Amino acid sequence: MAHPQIAAFARLANKGQAPARTVFGQTSKLSRTMHDIRYDEIHDEFVVGNPFANAILTFRGGATGQEGPIRIIQGPHTQGGATRLDVDPIHNEIFVPSVNRIRVYPREANGDIAPIRIIEGPNTLLANAESLAVDPINNVLVVGFNKQGNDPDGSILVFNRTDNGNVKPRAVIRGPKSGIIRINQMAVYPPKKLIVATMPGLANLMEPPDAFLGIWTYDDNGDIPPKWKIPVSPKTTLKKPFGVVLNPKNKEVIISDMRLNGVLTFSVPEIF
Amino acid sequence: MSKARRIWKIGLLSVVCAGLVVWLADTIARGGWEISGLVYAGQAAQSRTEARTITIERSPVRMIKDSYPSFSAVAINADENMLVVTDENLFQILEYDRRDNTPPRARFTEPKRVISGPGTYAEMMCGVYIDPVTKEVYVLNNDTQNWLPVFSPEARGNAKPTRYLAAPHGTFGIAVNEEKQEMFLTVQHQNSVVVYRKQASGDEKPLRVLEGNDTQLEDPHGIALDTKNKLIFVSNFGNAQVSEPGSRGGRRAIGTYGKFEPPSITVYPLEAAGNTKPLWIIEGSQTMLNWPAHMVVHEERQELFLANDADDSILVFRTSDKGNVAPIRMIKGPNTGIKNPPGLALDVKNGELSVASMGTHSILFFPVTANGDVKPLRIIRGGPADSTALNIGNPGAVGYDTKRDQILVPN
Repeated sequence: MAHPQIAAFARLANKGQAPARTVFGQTSKLSRTMHDIRYDEIHDEFVVGNPFANAILTFRGGATGQEGPIRIIQGPHTQGGATRLDVDPIHNEIFVPSVNRIRVYPREANGDIAPIRIIEGPNTLLANAESLAVDPINNVLVVGFNKQGNDPDGSILVFNRTDNGNVKPRAVIRGPKSGIIRINQMAVYPPKKLIVATMPGLANLMEPPDAFLGIWTYDDNGDIPPKWKIPVSPKTTLKKPFGVVLNPKNKEVIISDMRLNGVLTFSVPEIF
Repeated sequence: MSKARRIWKIGLLSVVCAGLVVWLADTIARGGWEISGLVYAGQAAQSRTEARTITIERSPVRMIKDSYPSFSAVAINADENMLVVTDENLFQILEYDRRDNTPPRARFTEPKRVISGPGTYAEMMCGVYIDPVTKEVYVLNNDTQNWLPVFSPEARGNAKPTRYLAAPHGTFGIAVNEEKQEMFLTVQHQNSVVVYRKQASGDEKPLRVLEGNDTQLEDPHGIALDTKNKLIFVSNFGNAQVSEPGSRGGRRAIGTYGKFEPPSITVYPLEAAGNTKPLWIIEGSQTMLNWPAHMVVHEERQELFLANDADDSILVFRTSDKGNVAPIRMIKGPNTGIKNPPGLALDVKNGELSVASMGTHSILFFPVTANGDVKPLRIIRGGPADSTALNIGNPGAVGYDTKRDQILVPN
């Protein structure tokens, strides 16, 4: 992507409507390949990763223009960068997946800070962990695997939020019925204990026919199909769903689509 | 009705109701039933292994999408009046006549040809080069496809490239040494410059690789060659990675950590390889560098032109400039129409500079000597003059700001 930026659009923005604000430029310390962004409503902040500088950046919620982050986690003690992440605003923690580990930092950390917990080891089954979402109400952490190519191990793993070390996952959703090839951005909906994830299909296909947004439950375990799914189709117009966030207030599922270079809002009251 | 008959009817009704309940429970347990083509699954089964999925087949209520091209890179062949641009929004390679000038009231200029489609091996394109002899078009995928496809001058539509090279993930800049038939690419993801045979294809390996801590390659973007003085110029965003000595590095390597450095232009010998230190660096507050992107060298004038993305400007340095130096010229200001320019190309024959202005759906043409807040000589627009480019590119995620009711879209 030639021009990195974070664009903020009004909820009701449609078609080519300009963003209300953008964050960009040298001062912002952003890079391209920001594969996650999380808004923390309690503290009015948003958090993104800069994978090229192995950094976790926290901005004030209303950041605009060439504005810099208010906190940066970066340095040799951090033990890695961040492509995707999530924030637990209640217990004040930031979760970062990195292939075979989940690192957890204090939310208010700033500078060269070591993780306070790491989930790793053979019992964890972690491999290709590239996305996650944390539920601070039900104390659940869901993790998605994302591997390039024809990967038979695309999976969703469910852990306890406070897990640490070489722990077994509570559940593993994996297999042909699950439809999971790889998982990109994830979300959770604590009131209904739902796992929401984009499944963009094989990475080398520009328009994978079997991509979808899937919704599972915390109780699912094994080769379980999603309870609901929004598929790629002429009706939905989705082509390659990459990102997802929920707007429970308006009962909406918001999906970013790589192949469309667009953001689609679906009204889906039945899942809320 | 007799009492006995009423009792018999009530009993029959009870049996029917009970049967219906049993049937419903069984149907739900088996996975669901269909209404209007949709399948409704059973609720909260202990195990949903056999459950069927509710497929939500409906149109989105809203879709944010720019319907016009986002020009990320530009190349020129002056002899053929050939101008080729890459479009990162609609995934197109567009060819215009370099003399085109979109009339003010026209919505846009129709390109002479368009290459686009799932068979092209081209998607999130950030770099382009035209072979001066064959007129073949070389295209770099910056993301989503790890290919460098090459198209014939006749290629159109969903054309298969005449050849394609398996390039590293995250290539951005391209420059070619025609004399030695070597192709130089910058790679963001591994902080490197890779050099291939110009005709390389398939899984061919690079001739040499410039990478390592000492190179000070820090999220490299643009690349330009001065073959006269045998130099490589590389622009860097400043996203640095520090690796253990002896390590090949890489952002995921154990022991690698990140560091923010100022943006820079690093300069190397043309044959540099391995962990080679730059000969010199242009860096500092006087340089005005702000996400420095594509570059090109004007060898006759010995000037280095740079697209300065986040500053809405084009900077010109002397090729001999070193350290914290101010540019000798700068094209910037409201009259220029430049907004978020990642790309630029030189037309030495006609003394013109073309600028890919991503933020305005347009290509702008200036004299190579332009300086200050000057109007372009010509404009080729890919969208209406009053349209705002959204610059959404490869949106890998989305967030929601509940306080401001805003959708957050990172690239």
